[in-house]
Amino acid sequence: MHIEDGILPPKAWISWYAVTAVFVYAGILEIKKRVKENLYYKPFLAMVGVAVFVISAMHLPVPVTGSCSHPCGTPLAAIVIGPFATSVISLIVLFFQAVFLGHGGITTIGANDFSMGIVGAISGWLCWKLFRHFDSPLWLAAGIAGFVGDVMTYLTSAFELALSLHGHIPLVKQWMIFFAGYGPTQLPLAVAEAIFTAAVLQVMYNRRPDLLPGVSDRKKRPVTLEQVKTEG
Amino acid sequence: MSESKSEELVNVPWFDPFTRWMLIIMLGVLIAIFISAKYMDMHHMMAGGTDDVVNALASHAARAKSHPFIELPGDAQVGAFSVANFFVGLIVGHNWKKLFG
Repeated sequence: MHIEDGILPPKAWISWYAVTAVFVYAGILEIKKRVKENLYYKPFLAMVGVAVFVISAMHLPVPVTGSCSHPCGTPLAAIVIGPFATSVISLIVLFFQAVFLGHGGITTIGANDFSMGIVGAISGWLCWKLFRHFDSPLWLAAGIAGFVGDVMTYLTSAFELALSLHGHIPLVKQWMIFFAGYGPTQLPLAVAEAIFTAAVLQVMYNRRPDLLPGVSDRKKRPVTLEQVKTEG
Repeated sequence: MSESKSEELVNVPWFDPFTRWMLIIMLGVLIAIFISAKYMDMHHMMAGGTDDVVNALASHAARAKSHPFIELPGDAQVGAFSVANFFVGLIVGHNWKKLFG
């Protein structure tokens, strides 16, 4: 999903920068708010930020397709630090990857952040919220979030390219052509990202449930007064 | 150094369950990568990144030459990744200890 410089026309990459700026602004506000609410938020932010940096640069070989790709780490980040805050750390991560690791470009940071730090994070976070709303186990909700966030990131990257470059070919066809370049390698890695997201979140919860506000395992949920009254 | 302090240091676990599990997982992932790489090598697969594949495809469609912001030839890329990963490990470890230690 690291689109390089020179592919997107200026009109496209400036537009992606503008769209991303809205989410990054919301992310800065979210960070300011949560820093005041939770004393542990800053170390979380630092830890998750560097983790996303390394996870999204970690190329893993997939023998079925004979190519390599990388997970994103943003669905996990969205659950732990918040979906909008993830767009901020993702922006910083993509900048350093472009400047120091030769991954992606500078003009395309807006487009790359939109796919990885915004769509990947928000779609994963929404899945997490939905599954937790229906009392799904923590590991399952986190796993689904990891899988969906990963696939959505690459679908969005392919869409960004197709939108600018489809020419006289139908947009959906060009989108699927670009996604065909990512998809077969990415699907096994999305499964790996699901397992990773579920495992990390479960370990975090087992060690310090109090650090993950709003995350309560249904088995460990405290007994309510009403339950005591009705069940004796 | 006081006796209690040195006793405390002697009792520092160097191979605690966390370290053991992390090593087991790391070895598992490394073995999986090794087997995958060996399979791809035996079948003359390129093992290139999908990002490069799609960027090349997009360059062709755009009739423009794509390029990363910076090119890291040969082992420079391995070096850059290793340095980044080393310091990321230190930062994650430092904060993990503060939060979950």
